[in-house]
Parts: sequence; C-alpha cells; structure tokens
Amino acid sequence: MNNRLKVLRAERNWSQADLAEQLGVSRQTVNALETGRYDPSLPLAFRIARVFDQPIEAIFSDD
Amino acid sequence: MTKPARPIPGPARTVLIAVGMVVVGLATGLGTGILSGQSGPGAIAATAGLIAAAMAAAIGGSVWWWARLDEAAREAHKWAWLWGGSAGMAVGAVPMLTFMMHGDTAEIPFWLGDTPAEAFGSGMVAILLFQTAGYGIAWAFWWLRRR
Repeated sequence: MNNRLKVLRAERNWSQADLAEQLGVSRQTVNALETGRYDPSLPLAFRIARVFDQPIEAIFSDD
Repeated sequence: MTKPARPIPGPARTVLIAVGMVVVGLATGLGTGILSGQSGPGAIAATAGLIAAAMAAAIGGSVWWWARLDEAAREAHKWAWLWGGSAGMAVGAVPMLTFMMHGDTAEIPFWLGDTPAEAFGSGMVAILLFQTAGYGIAWAFWWLRRR
C-alpha cells in the first residue's frame, strides 16, 4: 500500500517525531509507515486522516 | 486496535520494566534461597507461593508495558513470538529429541544435572533460551526490514 505521509508531513514542516507525538506512536512506526513497509490498522489510519484533515483515500492508495 | 494508554518513550519504558523485573527477580531469589534451606510441606508451599507471586508480578508488568506499546511495536513482538519463538523451539527440539531417543548411550553434559528434577529444569530452560534467541533475532529482523 502506498501513502502520501512523507509529502503531507513535509508540507507542514513536521519532523517524524512531531507526527509520532500527534498520533501517539513511536518515531520508528512513523518511519515504517512512510517507507510503505508497514500498513496501519484502521483506527491508526483514521487518526492519520484526522491529523492531516484529509479523507483516508486521499492519503492511502492500494496501487 | 486501541491507542496506547499513555505513551512512554521506548528506552525509558524498557529500562523501567527491566529494573522492575530485576527487583522482583532478586526479591524472589532471596526468598526462595532462604526457603530452600528449610524442609517440609510448609516450605514447599511458601516457595511455590513466592514464585507464583513473582510470575503474577511479571504478567502484571507485561500488561502495563504492552498497553503502552504502539501498534507497530506490538506487531513486531507478535510476529517475533510466532516465527522466532517457533523456530527457536524447533531448533531446541533437535538436541532434546536426540537425547530422549539415545538417553541410555548419549553423553549428557554434567552441568545439565544429575537428578531427574535437575535434568527436567535444564531441559525447560534450554528450550526457553532457544525460543528467546529466535524471538530476539526475529524481532530485530522485523524492524530492520522496515527501516
């Protein structure tokens, strides 16, 4: 699964640690998400969508 | 999967739980050491009770620690336990089954124990060590693949 986490985070000048704190996860988890090597659970995907104020499908894609 | 109760930075959490486990282990070791010098059903019951209390504390500590892990860290531990623990158990089964099948002729190292109870304990600890080694390797592999 692909995602736009890194782009969205960069647009806001947030570090991985900043995003991790807002999501309540570790920085390592944010890194694993950004590299596309870990797919989040549905609750975490919803939290990510809320943090970026965007629908889930605008952040994650399955192609 | 729910959000962790109250995230604590990974290293601090690990140190906290490790120190707690060491304290419980030392207290239990001290208590059982004193009790091992006594005989009778009362001493055996007290030893079992002390060890059971230590195990309950370990489970309680693990629940506290687990509630503060985020979902990727939990996934890493679950994957490591399934694949690393199972693989470690499979590796440990090789010497265990070999000794069982050739118990009458195989040279069993003296440090594994002389009495059946000592040999039983050594066997249990050996399997745990194989599982823990497999678990550690698998856990590191999970995170390295996601760097």
